[in-house]
Amino acid sequence: MNQEAAGIYFDGKSAAPQAVTIVLNTLNGVLQFQTETATVERWLLGELSFENVGTTLQLQKQQPDGIAILKITDSTFAAAILKFRKENKQIGWYEKMLASGMKFHLVLGLVILGLIGLTYVYAIPWVGEKSVALIPESFDDTMSGTFISDNLLFSDVASDKSKVLNAFAKELQLNNKKKLKFIFVEEDIVNAFALPDGTIVVYSGIVDKMQNYDELVALLGHEAAHVNNRHSMKMLCRNLSGYLFISAILGDANGIMATIGDNVNSFQSLSFSREFEQEADREGFAIVVKNKVDPNGMLNLFKRLQDEGDSIIPEFLSSHPVTKQRIATTRQLVKSTPQQVEANSKLQQLFQQLKK
Amino acid sequence: MEENVPSKMHYQLDFKGKGETFFGIVIVNWLLTIVTLGLYYPWAKAKTLQFLFGQTTLNDDAFAFHGTGKEMFKGFLKALLVFAVLFGIMGALTYLGHQGIGILVLYLGIFAIMPLAIHGSYRYRMSRTTWRGIRFGYRGDQAELVKLFFKWVFFTIITLGIYSSWFQMNLRRYVIGNIRFGDAEMNYDGDGGDYLLMNIKGYFLTIFTFGIYSFWWQKEIFEYYVNNLSLHKDDKRIEFTSTASGADFIGLIVINMLLIVFTLGLGYSWVVTRTMKFIFDHIQLDGNIDLNTLHQTEENYKDATGEDVSDFLDMDFIV
Ligand SMILES: [Zn+2]
Repeated sequence: MNQEAAGIYFDGKSAAPQAVTIVLNTLNGVLQFQTETATVERWLLGELSFENVGTTLQLQKQQPDGIAILKITDSTFAAAILKFRKENKQIGWYEKMLASGMKFHLVLGLVILGLIGLTYVYAIPWVGEKSVALIPESFDDTMSGTFISDNLLFSDVASDKSKVLNAFAKELQLNNKKKLKFIFVEEDIVNAFALPDGTIVVYSGIVDKMQNYDELVALLGHEAAHVNNRHSMKMLCRNLSGYLFISAILGDANGIMATIGDNVNSFQSLSFSREFEQEADREGFAIVVKNKVDPNGMLNLFKRLQDEGDSIIPEFLSSHPVTKQRIATTRQLVKSTPQQVEANSKLQQLFQQLKK
Repeated sequence: MEENVPSKMHYQLDFKGKGETFFGIVIVNWLLTIVTLGLYYPWAKAKTLQFLFGQTTLNDDAFAFHGTGKEMFKGFLKALLVFAVLFGIMGALTYLGHQGIGILVLYLGIFAIMPLAIHGSYRYRMSRTTWRGIRFGYRGDQAELVKLFFKWVFFTIITLGIYSSWFQMNLRRYVIGNIRFGDAEMNYDGDGGDYLLMNIKGYFLTIFTFGIYSFWWQKEIFEYYVNNLSLHKDDKRIEFTSTASGADFIGLIVINMLLIVFTLGLGYSWVVTRTMKFIFDHIQLDGNIDLNTLHQTEENYKDATGEDVSDFLDMDFIV
């Protein structure tokens, strides 16, 4: 069976179009036509590449010195070619997937988006957090070193009061595996933070607000829990892996998508820190109870932070968003945990020295 | 097709690709890239370029991109190697306690690769691009480009960045001036001074109009790109002219943003096809070159390393 149609041929040497008459042999899938130089071309359908441009079917044949092209506008003829290719299984899986229709692609797209979302929310933080185990603790120290030299350079580190603070902490059981070091900074900031290497920085602003030493114990317990759990490293790894994931996914999209992704990532990191805060609260509470200190100090501490409200400067490594929920959770803990409180005159005395 | 050669010829650029078709390609690319943990990326890129080039037409005949995933994969591996070596050197220096020098080496290294990447990616991409089977080509000289590149960088630094405008225009003139389309030559006429004035004007008017002028600024940038392009063959030429207005750009950009945001990024394919269509609908060609007389002159070149280095550096292909 033969079918015939008009076509336009480019020989791959010049851009001059040649009008040709193409004959398709539907038995062996050969296209035959005669060029202007009277050469007879025989093209095997299986060797060609196909592209639909508008309503034109374009066939390309790779030749040793270039690419020859045949354009066909006759739709019946194009359909006959497609029919032959289908019947002879010349259509590869890739082409089939492309031809599977808009609906299928849309479903596939939504599934992929869903999978990416799930991976981002569940798998990536987990991987990031677990990858902390691969990072040697010595790196925590190096990182903290840079942070201290960058951030405390212009701060007023009070060495006398730092000694008192260290003595205060020495009286306590902080469940720490790594040596903790305390720095007292004279600055009116109502905050404290923990660095991964075990350095805990306390500002005079927060101590001045405290009424009783049990509040300071709660603060140190909470910070120690951050260090014990390597929270800042975990957060860094989570953020970094989240960022890497997003940029890998959106890599070839464009600026708009990258910006959206970035914002999503930083939004996500807020809830990371909340989760870590809860853990530090729980463990900090356990430390308070273990040291036979009144856990109500923790509640008072939170109330003072809450009064301070938005004026708390967000810290890079571990800031302390005080929410009503944290207070409620702690109140619940105070109620449900059996506790034994003993007044500690030494802590009281050291605390008074810090307040001076 | 007319046999005699009239003094003024008719040219028509168009982009015929449909968003739905491209959407299928993008989704299948995503799927395969995820399933292969990213290894499919070079093939995905080849498919994308094949579509975008293959749907662009001049006088109803399509351009074509013949680069293959395999070529790009080899380029990808080479680019990876280059970056691994650079990061290795930085790591070693950091380990030895010279972190500052390590980072400096990394930045200088990346910087030094840039002209090589530009050269490589133009050479590769042009040689794999055809129209009616006639290959494009890039005839720039690598050593010359490197020398010029660093000379322009030096001027940019000592003029505190003012020269960057000339840097961009000189680079564009050099690169585009070395593009061949069969036996025809591309040319770019832009000048750093004009470009600087245009951008200063655009910058201030954008501020004064609270951003509204940015669309007209965009229009001028596009116009400056297009209107300085021309194609030459013997004593004949084709001039490029932009017909896009500021209002056209508002339509393009605003709808593109909405498409991305309200489809969670799935509308990306339509953004690309709309933008391609916009670009080619707004370039008018006038001149007297008879396209039928173009002849094959450029060689077949298959090294895709530059292509992927520029990908790693996140450089725009068009300078
Ligand atoms: Zn905390």
